[in-house]
Amino acid sequence: MSVPAPTGGPVPPVVGRYRVIPLIEEGAASATRPHPATPEVQEALGFPARLPSDWKARALARLGELVAERRGLRVFLETCTKCGACTDKCHYFLGTRDPKNMPVARQDLLRAVWRRHFTFAGRWFPWLVGARELDESVLEDWFRYFHQCSECRRCTVFCPSGIDTSEVTMAGREILASVGLGHHYTQEIVLKASTIGNNLGLRRPALADILENLEEDILEESGVPVRLPLDDATADTLVVAPSADFFAEPHVDGLIGYAKVLHEAGIRWTFSSEASEAANFALFTGDHAHMQDIARRIRDAAIALGTTRLVIGECGHAWRVAYSYLDALVGPLVDDGDGRTGRHGRASTGGERGEDRIGFLGRAHPRAEHVCEVTHALWRAGAIRLDPTRNAGVVATYHDSCNVARGAGMGDRPGGQYTIPRELLGAAVPSVVEMSGDTTAQRTFCCGGGAGMLADELMDVRVKGALPRAQALEAVVAAHGVTHMAAICAICKTQFAAVLPAHGLGGVRIASLHQLVGDALVLSGERRGEG
Amino acid sequence: MDALSAAFALALTLALGTFLLGTLARVVLWIRTPSPVPIPLAPAPRTRAGVAGRLALELLAFRSLARASLATWLPALLFHYGLLFVLVVHLRFLHPLLPPWLVPFLSLSGWATLALVAGLLTLFARRVLIARVRRVSAPSDYLHLVLLLAIALTGAALARRWPTDLHSVGAFLRGVLTFHWQPLPPHAGLLAHLVGVLVLLLVFPISKLMHAPGIAFAPTFHQRDPNAGAAGRGEGASGTGEKRGDAPSRARRR
Repeated sequence: MSVPAPTGGPVPPVVGRYRVIPLIEEGAASATRPHPATPEVQEALGFPARLPSDWKARALARLGELVAERRGLRVFLETCTKCGACTDKCHYFLGTRDPKNMPVARQDLLRAVWRRHFTFAGRWFPWLVGARELDESVLEDWFRYFHQCSECRRCTVFCPSGIDTSEVTMAGREILASVGLGHHYTQEIVLKASTIGNNLGLRRPALADILENLEEDILEESGVPVRLPLDDATADTLVVAPSADFFAEPHVDGLIGYAKVLHEAGIRWTFSSEASEAANFALFTGDHAHMQDIARRIRDAAIALGTTRLVIGECGHAWRVAYSYLDALVGPLVDDGDGRTGRHGRASTGGERGEDRIGFLGRAHPRAEHVCEVTHALWRAGAIRLDPTRNAGVVATYHDSCNVARGAGMGDRPGGQYTIPRELLGAAVPSVVEMSGDTTAQRTFCCGGGAGMLADELMDVRVKGALPRAQALEAVVAAHGVTHMAAICAICKTQFAAVLPAHGLGGVRIASLHQLVGDALVLSGERRGEG
Repeated sequence: MDALSAAFALALTLALGTFLLGTLARVVLWIRTPSPVPIPLAPAPRTRAGVAGRLALELLAFRSLARASLATWLPALLFHYGLLFVLVVHLRFLHPLLPPWLVPFLSLSGWATLALVAGLLTLFARRVLIARVRRVSAPSDYLHLVLLLAIALTGAALARRWPTDLHSVGAFLRGVLTFHWQPLPPHAGLLAHLVGVLVLLLVFPISKLMHAPGIAFAPTFHQRDPNAGAAGRGEGASGTGEKRGDAPSRARRR
């Protein structure tokens, strides 16, 4: 494992370090194998329990279907020129040196089979075009290396043909699930989220208990009765957070931050016990039907509670799904009153039943909103006040989460997903330091835990995949004494807290952005201990 | 007309037809394949003009490649623009008399050929020399470069060292395009050049050479920000004219 040694003296610019492209080392990460989903989970999701005897025919059939259904996948499989631009851009390759973690090589795992079984050149001249017959060894490669991709799309930024490896990875995972080889961690979460409403399987009483305790904590600390309402039918705003926010550290401090901001601004909001999960792990497995099942819970909860505004908590891929996919999954979003059409005057895509044609957002808030843009707008309008001296001693840097950076937008300005969180952070803490520009904004490195990679059995690859981010962080820690790295993604927070110690960076606090915002927030009527 | 000329005229007619229809069929297939969810690479343009600008940057300046590696970008740029320039020079064959606007192109065609060949050689060298690129290269990846080099070098030889009767070549090509076949000068270099072109035309629609039109059909590039206009600017967010609004298909399983 290539872990940078902690440094005492001056640190060379990080760019010079991580740009040392490793030599390839065949099979270096081949020992890491995800746990296959149990037969119960597979069957509950409508997949075969285990590898069926006709798996090859099924896999090829599913591949053919997916290519026919998705323009992106088809174009990406057909247009790669093997130019090599992406080969040194993936954090898993940089960390593991395994050539199958080069984005083009990962795509080729599927592309070679596609060529062999679906193209003229591959059928007749497989040796010429690198086509490969689908067999057990290919399937095993798929299972391992499509689970060493966090679908972060950094490689896409550098691809002259715009090829999105995540679309290939998703297709690979869909095919694997269809022949009994789902990833247990991811599929179990998909199952829980679509049947219970959150990834942890928390039911209403447990949630209510947690929220009540948090209310008591805030009251005790600040003297202000900040509420964390659950299933409040008088609310007009539905807040959906990643369920990790309900209990995990440092996530829960972010949740407290949302509550304080919404309280101070006088917004009437609520959580829902039916849709208590912003994350949509079906994005990771690529399965649109499951993604729709999970998204529909949010839509149904909004309709049941009568809310007209949807706010999404700090979660990277949840935001991608909410920002980019929601309309396609459970549109129309906006209720135009006639209950027949959405904001585009287009027939509903939600289903055939009449009630599926009702929108669930008001015209004033025609799309899902990120909690950061909500807080930012309130701060800009002067509805809330942030006092950075309350975070005295904090030197913060900001980690752009991949799905926010490359899969969504924020606010109504281009690149708002980069500037809005930074402006909030700047208002909340006394000092903000930027990491190397090759590791931030559109070029941000994934934390190494996205897209189901957070599973325990993948820890070796997780630690190695965090290497580029760790190097960039180490440079600003050494040069500027950074104490906190803020993030707006539940996965990033969990992953960094787990793997940064392995890189000698255990001293850096991983913070929810809304934790720092909440700590800086001036609450009306508050009682300050040291004040 | 001799049998060799007829054979080449027939082959070139078929190859051109295969190239045009094959490429068209592939592009139509792409257009007809739905995009169930929007997957533009963010930050994505919010307007059609913005998308046009993004595509222009990618198609004309290879912007993403420049981000990735200037050492790949430069030879790629040299090769593609050299090729474009040389193709323009070939327009001379479309008319018996040299159109005046082509004269400056003609005088610079040597430099263009040089750029084209230098670009190809560099691309070939890096494919061989860089272990990461070699690792992902199939024989066809080298052969595409060899084929283009062969066409370029035979063409350069015909233009400079190994002359043939260009007026007859023009007449032959016009004959192919108008289905009034004319004799082809029996010149080994010319035949070699034409065979290379035939292979290239036939291979184009079934190979990675389709990246040329493919760039414009990558949803990551050509889709707008999914919420462009959602805040009431009166612009349909799904107005990219695709099937992105189609209901995601229920997965067919088992």
